[in-house]
Amino acid sequence: MSEFHQLKVLEVIKETEDSTSISFKVPQELYETFNYKPGQYLTLRFTINTEDVRRSYSLCSSPVIGEPLCIGVKRVKDGLVSNHINNNIKVGDLVEVMKPDGRFFADVKKENYKTYYLFSAGSGITPILSILKTVLFTEEHSYVHMIYGNRSEDSIMFKNTLDKLQENYKERFILEYTLSRPKSSWSDLWKTSKEQTYRKGRVDTAAINWFLEEYPPYAQNAEYYICGPGTMIENTTKALKSIDVPDERIFIESFGGSNLKDTTEAFENAQLIAKLDGETINTIIPKGKTVLRTLIDAGKEPPYSCEAGVCSTCRCKIKSGKVHMKINLALTDQEVEQGYILSCQSIPLSNQVEVVYT
Amino acid sequence: MMHELPVSAYTSQEWFDLEQKHIFSKTWQFAGLVEDVANPGDYVSVQAGLNNIFIVKGRDHRLRAFHNMCRHRGTQLLRAVGKAQKAITCPYHDWTYNLEGKLVSIPKKEEEFPDLCDKELHDCGLNLHEASVDIFKGMLFVHPEKNAPNIMEFFGEVAPYLGPHIPEELIEYKEKKQAPFYTKEINANWKIIVENYIDQYHLAHLHEGTLNMYDHAKAEFGWAGSHYHFYEPLVPAYLADIKNASPYPLMDKMPDDKMGAYVPWLFPNIGITESESAWNTFHAIPLAPDRTLVVIRSKTMNVSEWEYTKQYTKSMASSVWKTMGNKGKYEGEASDPMASGDFMLEDVYACEQQQKSLSSPLFSVGAQAKKGEFAVSKFQSVVKEWIENHQD
Ligand SMILES: Cc1cc2nc3c(=O)[nH]c(=O)nc-3n(C[C@H](O)[C@H](O)[C@H](O)COP(=O)(O)OP(=O)(O)OC[C@H]3O[C@@H](n4cnc5c(N)ncnc54)[C@H](O)[C@@H]3O)c2cc1C
Ligand code: FES
Ligand SMILES: [Fe+2]
Repeated sequence: MSEFHQLKVLEVIKETEDSTSISFKVPQELYETFNYKPGQYLTLRFTINTEDVRRSYSLCSSPVIGEPLCIGVKRVKDGLVSNHINNNIKVGDLVEVMKPDGRFFADVKKENYKTYYLFSAGSGITPILSILKTVLFTEEHSYVHMIYGNRSEDSIMFKNTLDKLQENYKERFILEYTLSRPKSSWSDLWKTSKEQTYRKGRVDTAAINWFLEEYPPYAQNAEYYICGPGTMIENTTKALKSIDVPDERIFIESFGGSNLKDTTEAFENAQLIAKLDGETINTIIPKGKTVLRTLIDAGKEPPYSCEAGVCSTCRCKIKSGKVHMKINLALTDQEVEQGYILSCQSIPLSNQVEVVYT
Repeated sequence: MMHELPVSAYTSQEWFDLEQKHIFSKTWQFAGLVEDVANPGDYVSVQAGLNNIFIVKGRDHRLRAFHNMCRHRGTQLLRAVGKAQKAITCPYHDWTYNLEGKLVSIPKKEEEFPDLCDKELHDCGLNLHEASVDIFKGMLFVHPEKNAPNIMEFFGEVAPYLGPHIPEELIEYKEKKQAPFYTKEINANWKIIVENYIDQYHLAHLHEGTLNMYDHAKAEFGWAGSHYHFYEPLVPAYLADIKNASPYPLMDKMPDDKMGAYVPWLFPNIGITESESAWNTFHAIPLAPDRTLVVIRSKTMNVSEWEYTKQYTKSMASSVWKTMGNKGKYEGEASDPMASGDFMLEDVYACEQQQKSLSSPLFSVGAQAKKGEFAVSKFQSVVKEWIENHQD
C-alpha cells in the first residue's frame, strides 16, 4: 500500500528567502499512478541520520496543463525535513515519493458554474495554487476570489505566477494579498514596477468579513477552501461559520504542526501489543515515542504517510488500554468513538495498549 | 396548426396548464435583477410557474432560495419584497424559520406537538423546501428544485452572442419609484408575444418608421441551445451622428465596430434588449391562455443627472430623429397605435390582432418566411419538446 517510487528532480527553484519549489520527472509507466486531483499531496521519504522520515507536501502544479509535478517547501524552524530539502536537494537527485493522496481537492469540471473562495496563508498556498490554476484553466464560467496572507512582500510564494494569472484572468479571478508585517514604505520608493496595493493584517475575522462583503459570489454555487497555519484555519472557519456558511461548502487542509504545547504526559514504558500484517508484536513504548514510531523503531512496517495526524493512513483500532492523540485532523468523532486512533499521534495513557491494524 | 403546435396551444386552458406544469415549473425562471437583493436579509419572492419561491441573501452574501410556503399548513410566508429579515415567521401560527430555511420555533411546542419533542426542531423534517437561485448576466433566476441543473448548461451556449453590456454596472431607469419602467397586460397568448419578438421579418414592415435607425438588412440571428440570438447594427446615418443623436449616454462597453442592438430571447419567457444606450429585460408572464403580462425593466449608464440632460439636449437637436424612430405606419391620431410612432404599441397591436383571429374556423398560418421567421417554428418545437419530454 505505502509503496514508494524513485522520482528524479527536474528543477529546483528558490521561491523566497526560506522556500523552494521542486519539480519531478514522472516516467511514462508511472503516469497513471501519479495522476492527481488539484489539492492532493505527495509523501516523500528520506533517511536522515539513519532515521526513516516521511513528510507530506501538497502539489502546487496543476494536473490539467501538462506541467511536471511540483511541490513547494517552506523551512520550518529547526525542522528536519523542510530544511534538508531546502539545503540539499538538487537537480538530478532521486527522491522516494509515494503516489498522490488526500481528501482535500476540488472536483473540477468544465461545465461547472461556481464561485471558489480560496483562503490561504504562508506555505498553505501550495494546494490552493493547484486548485486555482485548474479551475481557471478548466471552468470557463467559474469565478475565483482569493485572499493570500503573508508576513511581508518578500515572503509571498509564487507571486509571479499569481500575478500573471490575475493579469490573464482579470474578469474571473480576484486576488487580494494581505500582509501582517509589511515593509516600511520608504523602501518601496526604489521599486520601478507598477504600483501594487496590499491589505494590512492577517487572514482573520475582520479580513474575511471585509473580503466577502467586497467580493460577494457571482455564481451562487460557492465553495470555500482553506489552507494555512493552524490558527489561520481556525479563525477562517470560525468566521465563515459565524455568518452561516454551511459546513458542507467548507474544505480544509491542515499541514499539522500545531504550535500549541501539548502537555499531556505519557505513561512511561507502557507495554504495546500490536497486530500488524498477521504478526503480533509485543514491545515497550519508550518515553516520548508514539505507537507508530515504536513499531518503526522495532523494524516493523506499519502504514503511514504524513505523520502529522492529517491523512489517517496510520489508522488502527484500540482493543484495550488508553491513548492520547496529540493531533487528530483526520478521524471523525464517530470513528474515535468506535475506537479508531491515529497511531502516528498516539502516546499511551495506560500501562498496556493493544492495537490492531486492519 | 401554427407550424409545430396546434392552434389550441394558444387558446386552451388545457395547454396553458400543461405549460405551467412542464415548462414554467421546470426551467430557470427570471426573478429580477441582482440589486433587488442587495444586502444580507433582503428578500424577493416570485411566482415561477406553479411555485412561489423566495430568494434571500445570507450573511455570507450568498443567495438562498426556498419555496415560500410554511411547512405547517402551507401558508405563504413572505410578501413580494422586503428588507433585513433575521428570521421568517409565518403570519398564521408564528412558526419561525431562520435564513437557512431551518425551523427554529413553534409556539406551544411541548403542549401541542408532543411528538416533536424529543428531536431538535431542525431535525423534524419540517424545514422549508429548498429551491435554487443563480445569477446570469446580472439577472436573478430561480429553479424549483434543490439540485437544479447548472444554470450555465442552460444558458451557456447563448452567452457568447449576448451584448458586451455589464448590467450590474448600470442603473435602473424608473419613472416612478418602486415601479418597473413598463408593465402592460396584453390580450394575447405568451407565445404570440415571443414569436413577435423573435420575428426578424416584421421589423422592416410593422416598424418601418419606428425602428428604422437599425439596419435590418444586416441583422445576424440564429438559435443557440434553447435560445434565440439577434444582433443588428445601426444605419449609417444614425451611426455617423451617434454621439449626439443617442437618447441616453452611450454604453461605455460598446465597441465602435459593433455598435447596434443585441436582442436575444432566453427560453422560455425572458427577452433582453441590449442597445447602444439602454439595457432592458422583457419578461412575458402568462396570465391566461389569451392574456400575458409584460414587464420591462430598463437600465442605462451610471453617470450623473447632468450627463443625461446634456445627452438629451443633444439628441433632441440631432437631425437624425427627423426621419427616424418615431413615425407611425399610418396617418392618424396619436391614440391609434399604428399612428403612434411607438414600436411597442405597434407590436402589442399586431399581437392582439393575431390572437383575435385564432378562434376563426378558417384560421391557419399560410406560409413561413424561410429566414426572417425561421425562429418562430424553432421556438415552437422547443415548447413542444418540453411538453412531450416531461409529460409522463
Ligand atoms: C497533508 C500535508 C500537506 C503538506 N504540504 C506542505 C507543503 O505544501 N509545503 C510545506 O512547506 N509543508 C507542507 N506540509 C508540512 C510538512 O509535511 C512538514 O510538516 C513540514 O515541512 C515540517 O517538517 P520538518 O521535518 O521540517 O519539521 P519537524 O522536524 O517535523 O518539526 C520541527 C518543529 O516544527 C513544528 N512543525 C512541524 N510542522 C509544522 C508546520 N507545518 N508549521 C509549523 N510548525 C511545524 C513541529 O511541531 C516541531 O516543533 C504538509 C503537511 C501535510 C500533513
Ligand atoms: S500518518 Fe497521516 S495521520 Fe498518521
Ligand atoms: Fe416588433
